[in-house]
Amino acid sequence: MASGPRTPGSAALVRLVAAREVSSRIRDKNFIVSSIVILVLLLGTMAFQVVVSGGDEPSRVAVVGDDGRLGPALEAQGESVGVDVQVVEADDEAAARAAVEDEEVDAALVDGTGPAPELVVLDRDPALEAVVGGAVSGLAVSDRLLEAGVDLRSLPEVAVVPIGDQEDDGQQVVVAIIGVVLLYGLLILFAQFVAQGVVEEKSSRVVELLLATMRPWQLLAGKILGLGLLGLGQIVVIGVVGVVGALALDLVDVPGELIGTVAVVVAWFVLGYAFYACVFAVAASLVSRQEDLGSVLTPASLLLVAGFFVALQAAGEPGGTLARVTSLVPGLSPLVMPVRQAAGEAAGWEVALAVVLMLVAIGLAVRLGGRVYSGALLRTSGKTRLREALRAERA
Amino acid sequence: MLEFDGLHKSYGANRVLDGVSFAVAPGSMFGFCGSNGAGKTTTMRIAMGLVRADAGEVRWEGRPLDQALRRRIGYMPEERGLYPKMRVGEQLTYFARLRGLDAAAAARAAEHWADRLGLGERRRDQVEKLSLGNQQRVQLAAALVSRPEVLILDEPFSGLDPVGLDALAEALLEQVRGGVPVVFSSHQLDLVERLCDAVGILARGAMVATGPVAELRRREPGRLLRVVVPDAPPGWAAALPGVRVVSERAGDTLLELAPGADDQAVLAAALRTGRVGHFAWREPSLVELFREAVAEPAEVAA
Repeated sequence: MASGPRTPGSAALVRLVAAREVSSRIRDKNFIVSSIVILVLLLGTMAFQVVVSGGDEPSRVAVVGDDGRLGPALEAQGESVGVDVQVVEADDEAAARAAVEDEEVDAALVDGTGPAPELVVLDRDPALEAVVGGAVSGLAVSDRLLEAGVDLRSLPEVAVVPIGDQEDDGQQVVVAIIGVVLLYGLLILFAQFVAQGVVEEKSSRVVELLLATMRPWQLLAGKILGLGLLGLGQIVVIGVVGVVGALALDLVDVPGELIGTVAVVVAWFVLGYAFYACVFAVAASLVSRQEDLGSVLTPASLLLVAGFFVALQAAGEPGGTLARVTSLVPGLSPLVMPVRQAAGEAAGWEVALAVVLMLVAIGLAVRLGGRVYSGALLRTSGKTRLREALRAERA
Repeated sequence: MLEFDGLHKSYGANRVLDGVSFAVAPGSMFGFCGSNGAGKTTTMRIAMGLVRADAGEVRWEGRPLDQALRRRIGYMPEERGLYPKMRVGEQLTYFARLRGLDAAAAARAAEHWADRLGLGERRRDQVEKLSLGNQQRVQLAAALVSRPEVLILDEPFSGLDPVGLDALAEALLEQVRGGVPVVFSSHQLDLVERLCDAVGILARGAMVATGPVAELRRREPGRLLRVVVPDAPPGWAAALPGVRVVSERAGDTLLELAPGADDQAVLAAALRTGRVGHFAWREPSLVELFREAVAEPAEVAA
């Protein structure tokens, strides 16, 4: 034993505490089981989506005598109205009719660029008819205009400005709801881990030995940081699995927005966790037995549950007064704001204000909480009142 | 020198410490005695920064204890505390690291102390799976694992079997030989008498006696005389002037002589009853010193 003990700094102590939390929790059965359950649920949800949307097959259109412009025009027209069109070349009219009768294709377009185009269908399909009609007349119009010497490049294009509930945002809202459910579950889980850890140290009296080597805030910070990193790791893994899975299974239209929404959820997890972990830890420090934990955690848990239900409500009405107000309230905002952001309903200043208010709340929780925590930690008999803990002094 | 200097502490109207002062020299063992509730644990907790004193301070090598100095103190709290689900070896390593050892040194120290206290086989077991006696050894190992400069142990011997007790005593004596001042509290006064260079007796929040046991004996004013007279009738000494019979059982008599009473007159009276088997001044045991010191006014607050 050559090297003597040196005095570890705050950072080193916090790191040691955090490392212990991670290494003991990672071997904990509850943690392993909950991680697996969450991943299985997520993969299950995606598999379900694949099955449900599996009926959405593309419309197949057989084209006779295409000069190379009709196919792309049909596909482009289909895309613009949300119908997936697949174009198949047919040799002649008879082959096209046979294909429709055999239900190999949904429709056959005969003489598409000629003077009397004809669409052969088994049953009428208004959407498909509109697509084909649009494509055919579009081609015809541009042909006539070209013949008349009109320059098509000077035609104005319509810029689209979405102002209401768009279908695209609808998909982001679904992602946000899944995110909020996960967020809620992980916040509860990890805040509970923090609370249980605090009570474990109190009930086993090991806290006296710990406080002989470090200050209460160092212990609290290490515990929250360690478990927080674990929680962050878990939600990032879930996010990556979710995004990769959704892209691989082709469940989303706009990957960029999906990733953006997932990133927003992860960011709100960090803020929400910092707040709830601190509040739960402080509440837990007031009791000395795991059995008493439920009663002190109830108020903070209720806030979390309220945020969860408001967030579900906000998914339906992201611009409503309830959603707008609660998305700013610290404690509720981590659950409500991601939904509004995904719906494209939150203004930049609202997000900024919600973040600032949340940071202020975290700051207050850490300061006040730290005092209660240090005042209550060494009172290992029964339940300590909040006011007593605030007044209690410590060296 | 580890100095406890004028410690005062009150909880509301309840005055727990009322000027506790004593000093422990490096390489000496100090036994800290007192009735339940006398303030021993509070004194030790003040030293460890777990309770703030109203007045007074604790110094090591002349410097008031702060968080950095306290990391150099090995501490065993009265209420034992370990992580129940952590393995013995990991736990010891963790506590060593908290006190500033690097990872490799901490692991070596944990192994060394686990072996030294007979826990080598149990290093990979969770603490909660160990017997209470073995948990106690882990607790002691946690106090020793960081090679402390000072040891403060609250009731380290309670709950140990004689073998564990000897192992612990030997470990502490080894620390003392290495120049570490050791303070421990105990109700097992025979043990304190056997191990300690000096003792302190705490009563009603103040030290009523401190010093080496031999010195305390000399200071003791009461004089006890043990006389064994097998043939004497019961109450043979009751009438002697200046003599109080403390106990008498089949001629084995313990007498307390008032100042000025004549011991030769007692011997003459004893010889008159027949054969005298034993006649000697008796040194008071620490237990008797303790009773004497603690029980001064009518009632002691428990």
